[in-house]
Order: sequence, then structure tokens, then C-alpha cells
Amino acid sequence: MTNHLAVIATNRFGMGARDHEIKEAQSDPQGWLGTHLISPALDNSLPDSWAVINQYAEFRAIKNAEKSGQKPGNQNAMMAPLRRTYFQFCSDTLTRSISSEHSFSWRLLDFFSNHFSVSAQGGLMAPLAPTLEREAIAPNLFGSFADLLVAVETHPAMLIYLDNEKSIGPDSRQANYLKKKAKKTRGMNENLAREILELHTMGVNGGYQLEDIQELAKAITGWSVARPEKEEGHGFLFRERAHQPGQRNVLGKTYPDTGASQGETILRDLAVHPATARYVSWKLARHIISDQPPADLVDKMQEQWLKTSGNLKEVITVLIQHPQSWQIEQQKLKTPREFLVSVCRATDGVSPRKKNREQQSRMLVNTLTAMGHKPFGAGSPAGYADISSAWDGSDALLTRIDWTNRWVESLKKRVDPLTLMDTTLGEQMASDSRTIIGRAESRQQGLSLLLLSPEFMRR
Amino acid sequence: MTKINRRDLIKWLGAGVVCSQIPVTGSLAFGSTSNHQSNSPKLVWIVLRGAMDSLHAVLPAFDGNLLVHRRLIAEPALEAMLPMDQGFGLNNNLPTLHSWYQQKQMVPVVAVASPYRQRSHFEGQDVLESGLFPLNQDNGWLSRALEATGKTGLAVSHSLPVSLRGGQLAGTWYPNTIPFAKEDLYQRLFQMYKQDDLLHDRLEEALNVRGIVGNSMNGNSRKFKALAEAAGTLLSHQEGPDAIMLEMGGWDTHDNQLPRLSRQFQELDSGLQTMRTSMGEQTWNNTIVMIATEFGRTVAMNGTGGTDHGTASCLFMAGGAVNGGKVQGNWPGLAKKDLYEERDLRPTSDIRQWISAALIQHWQLSTAQLKSIFPDITPARIV
Repeated sequence: MTNHLAVIATNRFGMGARDHEIKEAQSDPQGWLGTHLISPALDNSLPDSWAVINQYAEFRAIKNAEKSGQKPGNQNAMMAPLRRTYFQFCSDTLTRSISSEHSFSWRLLDFFSNHFSVSAQGGLMAPLAPTLEREAIAPNLFGSFADLLVAVETHPAMLIYLDNEKSIGPDSRQANYLKKKAKKTRGMNENLAREILELHTMGVNGGYQLEDIQELAKAITGWSVARPEKEEGHGFLFRERAHQPGQRNVLGKTYPDTGASQGETILRDLAVHPATARYVSWKLARHIISDQPPADLVDKMQEQWLKTSGNLKEVITVLIQHPQSWQIEQQKLKTPREFLVSVCRATDGVSPRKKNREQQSRMLVNTLTAMGHKPFGAGSPAGYADISSAWDGSDALLTRIDWTNRWVESLKKRVDPLTLMDTTLGEQMASDSRTIIGRAESRQQGLSLLLLSPEFMRR
Repeated sequence: MTKINRRDLIKWLGAGVVCSQIPVTGSLAFGSTSNHQSNSPKLVWIVLRGAMDSLHAVLPAFDGNLLVHRRLIAEPALEAMLPMDQGFGLNNNLPTLHSWYQQKQMVPVVAVASPYRQRSHFEGQDVLESGLFPLNQDNGWLSRALEATGKTGLAVSHSLPVSLRGGQLAGTWYPNTIPFAKEDLYQRLFQMYKQDDLLHDRLEEALNVRGIVGNSMNGNSRKFKALAEAAGTLLSHQEGPDAIMLEMGGWDTHDNQLPRLSRQFQELDSGLQTMRTSMGEQTWNNTIVMIATEFGRTVAMNGTGGTDHGTASCLFMAGGAVNGGKVQGNWPGLAKKDLYEERDLRPTSDIRQWISAALIQHWQLSTAQLKSIFPDITPARIV
């Protein structure tokens, strides 16, 4: 019995085959993938976004005291825990996707984390950015897109990254107060509203107008983040005083002023808009299946989206079951992250050499950085580009080769390349590659060749 | 104008460089572009990240208000400065730049700014690099310039900086900190990649770049000087890119500015000197180096011997293709009433006007091409 389909299930959908996965998937690859559609579990002993925000507020307070000469302190020592938190978050996601038995769900987490890209730039965003996928995305990965969207857009990481926490409605009570009492005027910020329409839902050609952006921006004025110690609440805070009063008109529909929920109602409508269904389905298919996703696949996903009001589990099931998702020919070069995770999955290790967890997490993150995909380092709300040409550069390839070579050298366990070839790639392996691996000068070299073979690097 | 695609782009990196141990196949004949004569005009774009304090780099010695705002840091700098025209002086830790100024190969432009008027580093850098306002983080001015001219670019960086995003003609290179694999592994991979054109070409290209910059970079310093040296070598190579981008951090001097900036300037200056040496005089004579930062710093010193985020800063243009030796830009003055928001150096020109002027002269851009790079920008007149 041929195992081509099981190889596709574990590599194109999953993050690379582990142990006996090809065998497990062989009898019913689609059914096997169906069992992956459960929310990825993350280490809940790590701090949450509110803890991060508090930690940062403490740091700022000390830094300000230092600036005004009140008391000496060590800024670097203060920042170290925040930076460490960033590495812990990134490594938690990586190590769990490496050891997971539901690796397709981790690919989907990675996809949506990049779809709702936030960048770890600066003292606060570095540890805060990774909390978005942990708190807003992972729990909503297989529910309705509307819930996912609302969770993401009201999360402190997104509100701060796209400046909505300071956005004030031009006719809000706060704006009027500021006009009278202070010289400075602070205004509305359209960043988040623009990216919601352009990147998160309808897509740049989705058919919305500038007025729709402005109306949405007004509707979400007041969506902010509580200041530790100074305000009630933790995390999302609706500042009614900053909210633009009045009804809003978005895409031809009128939304009465219901305060905080005005924006949410609009988001829930956007989540089931045909343009959103189309755009996000297309992006998903492009990410998972091919840089040029088959049109019929995208059509069927969109139909299911509209039929189920954007139930992501249902839409992804269509993706799994569509015959065009299973073309034998390899479709995409693995991203740096997919490559790193799949190498670790294949060689059954997180880090063979570095015992210390701290070092380990830094090694994984630094490897991705060297390959050009630092976690939360896209530096753009659009996230990392999602087509192979964005990561197939020569320097990135050489980094993969040198890193893999070193990784293999550090493996303690003796791994036989020919056995591993069958458990990770089965019959996908072309006979030429087989021969070259078989003729390697050592087991180690054979293993490097396997992990760097076109068959392993593509999916 | 020939438009080359990504597949052709690899040729400039991959073609013709024979590394002794690497098989060179017959597929290296290179392509459609004719930009690669040794005297083709080259561009180096250096972004100083963290907001460089221009008032400490180009000192307005004639402006008595400088000492009023920042006596402690300005006085020693004024005493040691290297004189330029109109009463300006260059920081004495920039001797190479000053010698170029004297050779008429360096132009400082004072009181420039991007259109950005807030004070966040990241946004400021993004606007500077994008050259668009409102900002587009996925579309850089240098990338647009490459697309308009069919030239190629390289960032000395792990991933593509905003300046070079959006087109198809730019790649990245960064010294690998991971030890090299044995030559034999690359050889066998070449054999294996025979069935995979893309991987084959990429490997060839990568090893050729490694051949150009030399194995000395492996595991070694990633300091600006070493990166600048490699950049010079890459740029002057027969198949090198037309434009190269470098970044240097460490400019956010909120405290202890005097010693910190001295070190920063020295590192920058010696890097520039090394770059000129490594590219050689022939390339240098066809090169413009532009050195910019996202914004300036406060005119007044803060309580910790440093300065805070400000607005206008300066731009340096240098190189054999520059007709220099004169300070450019209008000086807005440092009297309180002349400051931007009563605290910062006021911008008197948009930095994009100067970049435009350089591009028009250096890469012979048409008005239409310039419009595709900086819509609505009038090039500066260099006086």
C-alpha cells in the first residue's frame, strides 16, 4: 500500500512526521487530520498579558525615578526578565509544536498568529506580542471566526501595537475636555480600523471605502487598555469618555451607539462578510496547500464559511477533504519555522546539547532569527509574506545547511538516516536522493543530507 | 528598461565567481541586465537606528544658543571640532568623514527630517525607510528605486529591512554565526539539488557570496566595521549589487552622551574608512553613501547627561560621486522661538528631497521614475 497520502498529511498539513505518524495516518489520512482540530494547549504557568503589562509598568516607574535622580537602578537588570519572558513564550510555542501529536493545529496557530501579526518591538511589545496568540488565538482556533476576531481586536497586544488604546473620538467627552482645558489635542487613530479591514477581514481589494475605515475607527474609540494600579480592571478597558458618540455607518449598514459593543457588532458582521470569507479562505489555502491555491478549493471553503457563519473547524475540514489539497507533487518550500520544527520532530529532540531550558529557548529563537523569521519580528502588521519567494533566499538556505549540520553533530542518539527517511518521508523520497544519502561518508552526513534533501525541505 | 525577475537576480550573485572547491556549472551565463560594469553607479544606504544626535555630529559653532541649551556636552565637542564652512564643525571623532569633506567628497545636510513628527523610534525608522507618509511598512523607497531602474540591492541583515521591501530585486546577506559545514557536504548537496533548480541555484549563489566576502566573516565580529568591510567588497565585485544597505544601532543616547557618542562616531567613521578601502578607489569614485537616522534629539540636555527624542537631524552624503565640501540645508536657529514645539531642531527640508536629488544625478532618474519612488517630492537644489 502506498503511503503518499500519509506523507502529505504529516508534512503538508502537519509540521513533519514524528515516530509512527505515517503509519497512524496511513489508513485514513483525512480522518487522522480531523483528530488534530483541537485548540493547542500552552503552558499556563507562564505570565499572562496583564502580568506582562504590570511588570512593564513597574519597570517604567523605576526608570522614571532614576531619570529624575531619585534613586539609582539598573535598567538592564530590570529589562532582563521582560526579555526572558519573550523567549519563554516563543520557545513554549516551538517546543510544544515539536512534541505535539496534533501538529496540524500548531500550523494553524502559526498561520493565524501571522495573519494577526503583532511585532515584538520595544520594551513592552517584546513580551506582550506573543501573548496575543496564547490568549486570543489559540482558544478560538476552531470556533467561529467572529469570536476569534473579537478576541484579537480587543486584546491589549493588538490595541497597543496598532495604537487604538490612545484613540479618542473627535466629539467624545474627553476630546471636548482636552480642547477646553489643555493646549494639546489628541485625536482619533485609524491604524487598527484600517488593518482590520485591509489585513484581518476583507482584504485590500475587499470593496470597503475610506469612509468605512473612518466609521469603524470611530466605533472602536474607547477600546483601550487599563493602566496598572491607576485603573480598575485588567487588560481590555472601555473608556466611555473617549468613545465617539452617535450611530455609525459601515458598508451601508447603520449601527446604533451601544457603547463598547458597537464596534463588536460591526466586527461580527465583518467576520461573515463574503469578502472576508473569500480572503481568509484564500490565505489559508495559500499557506497550507500552494502559493497558487486551486480556485475550486477556495470556492468550496468560502461557501462553507458563509454556510456555517465562519466556523473555522468546518472551513478547515473542507480544506482537508478537497481532492486538490492532496496533489502528490510537493507544493511549497517549508518556511524557516516549519523547517526547524520538522527537523526537531524528525530527530526527536528539542535540543540534544543544551540542557538548560533557558539556553534551549534562546537557541530555537536565534535559529529562526538567523533564518530571517524571528518570532514576532515581521515588523509589519501584514506579518511575514506567505509565499515561498519570501524565504527562499540564498543566505537563508546556507543558514539552514550550516545549522542542520551542527544540529546533527550534536545529536546524542544514533539515528539511522535510511530508517528515518522511511519514517519521515516514506515513498516521497526520489531514488536519486535515496542513493546519495545511502552513499554518505558517515551516518551523520547521511542524516544531514536527508534533512536538507529537496524532499524534506519541501512539502 | 529591462525588468529582471527574481530568477535572474540570483545571477548577479551567482555568476562567474569561481571558488576553487565549488563546482561551477555551465548554467552561469548571466542575464539580461547590463548594470554590472565596474563603473556603474553604486549606492550605499546606511540607517543609524536609535536617533543620532545631529547637533553633536555637525556642530553649529556660530549659534550661541547651543551652549545655552547643552553646555556640558557641547563645550568639549566645540573645542575639539574639525572646522567646516559657514561656521559649522564636524565632531572630532569623525576624522574620515572630515577628510572626505576636505576632498570635496562629503556633504552634511543640516535640519532635515522625514515627514514623521511623532517620537517613536520604530515608526520613525519605518517612515524614513518607506519614504511614504502615511506609512507602508511593506514598501521601501530603495526597493522602489531598484524597481524603477532594474538595479539590484542587498541588505546586510538577517531579514529584509523596510527600505528594501516590496520589490523583487533585493536580497539579504549576513555573516553566519554558525560554523560552516564541511566542503564535502556542500558538494554532495549540489549533486542532490540537480533535480531541484531553485535549491541548486540558491546554494551556488550563497557559496559564491561566501567566496566573495571570504571565510574570515564566519563566527567573527558582527560589528559595523566588519559588516561595512564586507559591504565594500560585495559592492565592488564584478557581479555585486548596485545598492547595499547597512544598519548601525546604539544611537539612543538618553544618558551619558559624551563618551557614548564618541565611541559610536569612531565606530561609524572607521567602518566607513574600511568600506572605502575594501571597495577600492574605482568603485568609490562611482559611489554615493547616504547616512541617515530616523529623527534628531532634543536641543537641550536632559538630567542624565543625554538628550531625548527630537525632530530634525542631519544627513550625510559621501563618496567619489558626490560633489561636496559644503554644508547644505538651511539652518533654522536654536533660539527658543525657532525650535519645533519649543524643544527640537526645526526641520527646514524633507530628507526625501535630498535623496531624490542624489538619485536623479546618480542613477539618472526621470521625473516619472522619481514620482514612482517619492510621489509629491520636489528634489532639493544643491547650492
